[in-house]
Amino acid sequence: MSNVLLMARLSLSEALRKKLIVVLLVLTAAFLGFYLYGILRLEQNLTERAANAGLSAGPRRGLGALPVVYSGIFGMYLVYFLGSLMAVLSTVASVSGDIESGVMQSVIARPVTRAQVVLGRWLGFTGMNVLYVLLVSVALLTGLYLITGYLPPNPTAAVAQILLGIVLITSLTVLGSTLFATLANGIAVFVLYGLGSAGGILKSIGALANSPTMESLGNAANIVMPTNALWLGASYNLQTEGALQLAQVARGANPFASTTPIEPGVLIWAAVYTALAVALAMWRFSRRDL
Amino acid sequence: MTLAIQTQQLRKEYKGRAVVQGLDLEVGEGEVFGFLGPNGAGKSTTVKMLLGLVRPTSGSVRVLGGSPDDPAVRARLGFLPEQFRFQTWMTAQEFLNFHGQLAGLKAEELRTRIPTVLERVGLGGRGTEALGGYSKGMLQRAGLAGAILAHPRLVFLDEPTSALDPVGRVEVREIIQELRREGVTVFLNSHLLSEVEQVSDRVAFVKAGEVVRAGTMNELLGGALPVMIKVDALTPQLLADLGRLGQLEQQSAQQVSVMVSGEEAIPALASAVAASGAQLYALTPQRHDLEDLFLELVGTSGDSRQAALTGRVA
Repeated sequence: MSNVLLMARLSLSEALRKKLIVVLLVLTAAFLGFYLYGILRLEQNLTERAANAGLSAGPRRGLGALPVVYSGIFGMYLVYFLGSLMAVLSTVASVSGDIESGVMQSVIARPVTRAQVVLGRWLGFTGMNVLYVLLVSVALLTGLYLITGYLPPNPTAAVAQILLGIVLITSLTVLGSTLFATLANGIAVFVLYGLGSAGGILKSIGALANSPTMESLGNAANIVMPTNALWLGASYNLQTEGALQLAQVARGANPFASTTPIEPGVLIWAAVYTALAVALAMWRFSRRDL
Repeated sequence: MTLAIQTQQLRKEYKGRAVVQGLDLEVGEGEVFGFLGPNGAGKSTTVKMLLGLVRPTSGSVRVLGGSPDDPAVRARLGFLPEQFRFQTWMTAQEFLNFHGQLAGLKAEELRTRIPTVLERVGLGGRGTEALGGYSKGMLQRAGLAGAILAHPRLVFLDEPTSALDPVGRVEVREIIQELRREGVTVFLNSHLLSEVEQVSDRVAFVKAGEVVRAGTMNELLGGALPVMIKVDALTPQLLADLGRLGQLEQQSAQQVSVMVSGEEAIPALASAVAASGAQLYALTPQRHDLEDLFLELVGTSGDSRQAALTGRVA
């Protein structure tokens, strides 16, 4: 266990020392500032218009609340997208990079098992990515609340599902890193991510057109890559009753948000998939030549 | 002789091509063992199999009485990789601290051990600099410090002086000799034959993945010894006297080569020259060295023909 923690700590100090974390935090702060400034201007506009129309400055209801609800949903969508990008890019070389540079040889010659090395790398990168996405999510939702007084109905469930997606992407990237060269791994994970999103779009159009074939294709894509399904599950928790009703009327013609909560089966599969990816990475790395 | 390393019919194939085939090696505990061969002969692959970095296709490996796949065995090994590539964002101290922890050394022991090994490889006082700013030679020294850090019983040095200047080479030779005095087994992979010759107790020549000759220095280089003698004039009497001591090959009116049985015969040659009254200009034993043997056994450069035959060896 101490070897696993040692490898995890190595990953963290590497990210710190290579200025990865600093660059990321600065750029993320810029993104958050930009987005929240937009929300601030939106809020000012809405308040101004309400005053001009002679309406009382109370909490907005029904359709009037939609702009703020959507700014919460799409803000979190951006957080999820940024987090996924960060998860892949930070982790893409976690094992392959050290093999390619030759660093791995001197590490593996020590009394550490290869499974410990993989698990430690996974733990370090997962910890970093989860912490990052958690931080940005909390910052965005807090900013939204402070500016508009609105908080999505179930932010904890939403963030939890987003974080599961981030852990899954990190795990698959670690697995890819034991199988492929760094560049090939990056491409592979992004294509998988794209496949997950494509599945969501197919399913959404399939529902609109009442096409079972397209829905089956979407479901298949969700099994291969459940990241988009996890996002849709999160999006359900970010919508108010009014927003959900409107989306139901539109028969879900919006591939970015779902009108139904995530199926428990998908949640379980995502967790099992994560564990399988890590186990397979440990197994695979234990039998390859260096 | 207790064996530090024993391989039997060790074989490694990459995509059906054998890089190491039927390799039988025995290295005794406390020996400095030189492993020689042209590029592509399978030397580095062999070292990697001995360290558990590469899985043999067939055959058996025993290192320090166990398998290199066993972490407890690897805890007693030291390794300087040929490429000596390390995390460049670390300082030398952090690098050694990380490796010391991986090797299971305690924090308080590392506090005294790290400055000691840094001093020993000539990096005393440079431990707080980042490895990214190190020269190649300094990196190789840092790698050597890592190899000897955790009090290993067996050290693998893969081309340990490839990046070092002549002074550095002498220092590494001294470190190897020090390790031998402490009873540590050293497995030395090197192209620098004179260096191997100076420190090794035994050597093995490997060619196309097989051991073609192995033995102690004396076994390999002992035996018949040509001695070149140069005098003012070779008289028939002198030639006859020398002829009784060994087979002659006259090279000029002043110079002759006498093939004697060994070093013990050299004084007799000098006495014969002195007794004949000839003026002696030179008397030089022309000992075979490893280079002669290497060329004789291996013939061609590994980069040219052999590499094409045996394929890639990382």
